[in-house]
Amino acid sequence: MSQNIAPPPTIDSKFILPFMNATRNVFHKMAGVATTIGKPYLKTDAANTACEVCGIIGFTGQITGSVMISFSESAAQKLVEAFAGVKLAITDPDFADAVGELANMVAGSAKKDLGALASISVPSVVIGKGYIVAMNRNVPCLVIPCSSPLGDFAVEVSIKRNPGD
Amino acid sequence: MTFNAEEIYQIASTIWEATIGLQIQPDSQDALASIGNRPRSTAACIQITGAWNGAILLDCPVEFARKAASIMFSCDVASVTTADLQDAVAELVNMIGGNFKALLPETCFLSLPAAVEGGDYSTRIPGSTMLGRVPLSCEGIAMSISVLEKTQERTIAA
Repeated sequence: MSQNIAPPPTIDSKFILPFMNATRNVFHKMAGVATTIGKPYLKTDAANTACEVCGIIGFTGQITGSVMISFSESAAQKLVEAFAGVKLAITDPDFADAVGELANMVAGSAKKDLGALASISVPSVVIGKGYIVAMNRNVPCLVIPCSSPLGDFAVEVSIKRNPGD
Repeated sequence: MTFNAEEIYQIASTIWEATIGLQIQPDSQDALASIGNRPRSTAACIQITGAWNGAILLDCPVEFARKAASIMFSCDVASVTTADLQDAVAELVNMIGGNFKALLPETCFLSLPAAVEGGDYSTRIPGSTMLGRVPLSCEGIAMSISVLEKTQERTIAA
């Protein structure tokens, strides 16, 4: 009897390096923060940890999916302060704008090197405690852990190339 | 684009009936306040790029998401996982986005949906303005669908 076993999810390795480089460059140039990139790993439901501040950007076109930058509240406050040049309360609308802009810059910068025609959407920013963000389960999600002197954060890449494109 | 709450309601009504067999009714704007007051809620967002740029956001309490997931995935309400209910609301907002796209000028593209579940969070779409928020009720549970349109770039004050 044959069994239909779904193949393990895979992600094109060509999609990862642009996000690593973009993260390093954006945080260095825009926030003056040196970022150390850790070893990427595949996200599973079990590793779906709660986050406190995250910026999500959608990709459309030859590539579809989402990219999320997630921070602890403390890391987000310090990194946003370094980016905006001013301390912003987490409730300040400019705080969410800054998080969205960081996500936008990382996604926009990476997009140039993905080798495909794609558009990025307006960012969504979620702020709070004990919430879980889920992206499409049909697209594998690779987590790129990042550390910086101002706090750790992660870039989660969940994109795929559309068939035929 | 011009926001038309009736069109959003019609889209949602068709999707709710077709996919989960539940009816929805328009609700009052006062009901919107109760959505954020629930102990746990879910939000699903889908973004649109192209000739029109913006996002659709579905906000609903967890009890609705749980019920929708149990119907969608043919399982018991008690056995619905967080991932299931996130998938259910993501699928609903995906279908809303797909139908909404038909109202937009050519050519627009949908992103993949993202869903949030939790007890104490807020969702913002920076760089966009709210065109409208449609309050709905499904079996007495209040929920809403928001349409946001991308605006001009904003500079963060330094």
